[in-house]
Amino acid sequence: MELDEFRASLDGWLDEHHHELAPDRAGGATLDQQMAHLSAVKRLAYDAGWMRWGWPERVGGLGGSTLLRAYLGEALTARDLVEPGIYSMTEVLAPTMIDYAAPELAATMVPRLLRGDETWCQGFSEPGTGSNLASLSCRATRTDDGWQVTGQKVWTSLAQFAQRCVLLTRTGTPESAHRGITALFVDMDAPGITVRPIGSMHGLPEFCEVFFDDVPVPFDRTLGEEGQGWSVAMDLLPYERSTALWHRAAYLHRRLQDLLDTMPDGALDAAVLGEATQVLYAFRARSRATQHRLAAGERLGAETSIDKVLVATAEQAVYDLAADGLAAGVAIGDDPASERWRTGYLYSRAATIYGGSAEIQRNIIARRLLDLGSDR
Amino acid sequence: MIAGEDLVLFERSLRHATERSTGPTLDAALADLGWGEALADDPRAAVSTLFALQGAAHVTSSALDHVVLDVLGREGGVVLPALGRWSPPGRFDGDRLTVHGLGGAGLADHRTALVVARAGDEEVEVTVPVAALSLRTVRGVDPDLGLVEVSADGVVVAEAPKPLTAWTSAVALGRIALGHQLVGASRTMLELAREHSLERIQFDRPISQFQAVRHRLADTLVAIEMAEAVLDAAWIDGAPQTAAMAKALAGRGARTASRHCQQVLAGIGFTTAHPLHRHVRRVLVLDQLFGSARSLTTELGDDLLAGRQLPPLLPL
Repeated sequence: MELDEFRASLDGWLDEHHHELAPDRAGGATLDQQMAHLSAVKRLAYDAGWMRWGWPERVGGLGGSTLLRAYLGEALTARDLVEPGIYSMTEVLAPTMIDYAAPELAATMVPRLLRGDETWCQGFSEPGTGSNLASLSCRATRTDDGWQVTGQKVWTSLAQFAQRCVLLTRTGTPESAHRGITALFVDMDAPGITVRPIGSMHGLPEFCEVFFDDVPVPFDRTLGEEGQGWSVAMDLLPYERSTALWHRAAYLHRRLQDLLDTMPDGALDAAVLGEATQVLYAFRARSRATQHRLAAGERLGAETSIDKVLVATAEQAVYDLAADGLAAGVAIGDDPASERWRTGYLYSRAATIYGGSAEIQRNIIARRLLDLGSDR
Repeated sequence: MIAGEDLVLFERSLRHATERSTGPTLDAALADLGWGEALADDPRAAVSTLFALQGAAHVTSSALDHVVLDVLGREGGVVLPALGRWSPPGRFDGDRLTVHGLGGAGLADHRTALVVARAGDEEVEVTVPVAALSLRTVRGVDPDLGLVEVSADGVVVAEAPKPLTAWTSAVALGRIALGHQLVGASRTMLELAREHSLERIQFDRPISQFQAVRHRLADTLVAIEMAEAVLDAAWIDGAPQTAAMAKALAGRGARTASRHCQQVLAGIGFTTAHPLHRHVRRVLVLDQLFGSARSLTTELGDDLLAGRQLPPLLPL
């Protein structure tokens, strides 16, 4: 299927099924409501075929360019049918399974994620391991029956909803750094796993602590080879900085338009509005080019750190604008629309922190794109 | 369309020309290379390649005049908008023409020049003898750019002015060209600062190892890539509003590059022995041509506040 045909048919389907797809709310929603709605939308889109385009046939997809699924996410977020953060987890985790899981495992599991039957989470960060991912210490030990995992993860998005986790573990010596890391695909109902949601500034308990206490994981749940976990993580990050960002770009465009539609006269300074619009447009133009490189089969790498810097810059610019343009609502409004703006504003403060902080992105740009060598 | 190997060859010839010549010599080289035909044939390849190289090599040519004239379907000399402005440089009051604009170094060599002017609510074009215009050679912050300030105060024009509709398109393409030139200059400034940071030893190590330095250079690259992305978008969607955003981002990006690279180059970059100052000077003027980052950004904001409608999504 070609993109133009896909776009036209999908747009028609979305118009026709708007009432089934639109969230049943005027403004904010709890995370439980958002997740239930997300599953419903994914199910409808999967059964109608849309959710399967752009994914390989061997994992239940219908094939075709990755641009098709980029457009699906754009359409769903631009129409405000799903929240981009929870929707785009699929874009981050499914490619990892396709590239690194045993083929039969990928063929069984990926359709469940696409169809909205399951939620997956990504167990990377640890209390002592934020920006320095290679220092992680959650340990997987070999036993006769499989891996045994003990340790702790933190900032694990949606772990309380998740049936599976892509987990980075230490299998080498503590000093083995990035060489001694192994990625596992873990069932979240395995014995020994405790999930504790973290109260977050923006009011939605999206992030969790996850504790692993002698959790058994079969060997056939190893993603890639033992010791290959760093490659799994490094290959996943460009996905996190490509299609997921394209979806967020469409969402930010939508929210900025919402702001223009609702803010009172005289609330905004023209120059500040103009600059935020330019920055968002630049982010979208950049992300679009990245989508086309991905679709052409190019291997994405360090240059996606520029996309990541731009999404954070654009997101904070849009919500800084909202905090000025709808100041009364954000500060003292208790209606659903104001609550939603406030949540968005507070969440945008994390845009320069999660997924590799703004400083880490600049370090990558300096080292890999500007070839400035090591910083020590 | 210039594509594949032809594009590589085209780029190489232009690079050769811009690295060895400037001003009238570069104009002659461009004529030999058939750049004018390329402009008609494949504006994107011709404009993006040449102007980026011009900016990178810190050279001048009359290519901006050609870009504007090509859109207007004319040849010869042309008067460009006044500094910081994008409205037509002329104004008719009855049959009297007042001009306030800029010209390239080659303007004085032409016998006549095209002046686009406002006549009431309309835009019109008229060809006037260059002798009827008063030309002041500009020195200013960047004497090498070779601009002239053009003025005329109520001269009577023999020729009848003709209506014109393409001014907005001409301004848009001029902005894209200047955007590429600003990006080219910014990339050179970044490269100068990058090389210096790797060679300059302080506290027993190259200053490129200091995070404060690395992040300035990283931010410079981000600013450049933002402008480049929107320049590409402007070629794809052809919308004057996208061209204006691209010019604004390129101008702001070049000012950012100036600031960060000047700081990294520190003392040596403040001397005339180092080439940085020439780029700093140039981008200060280029930012102002056809509208500065500041004025274009405010204009965009005013339009958004009035129309309450964002520029449409660039289709995937």
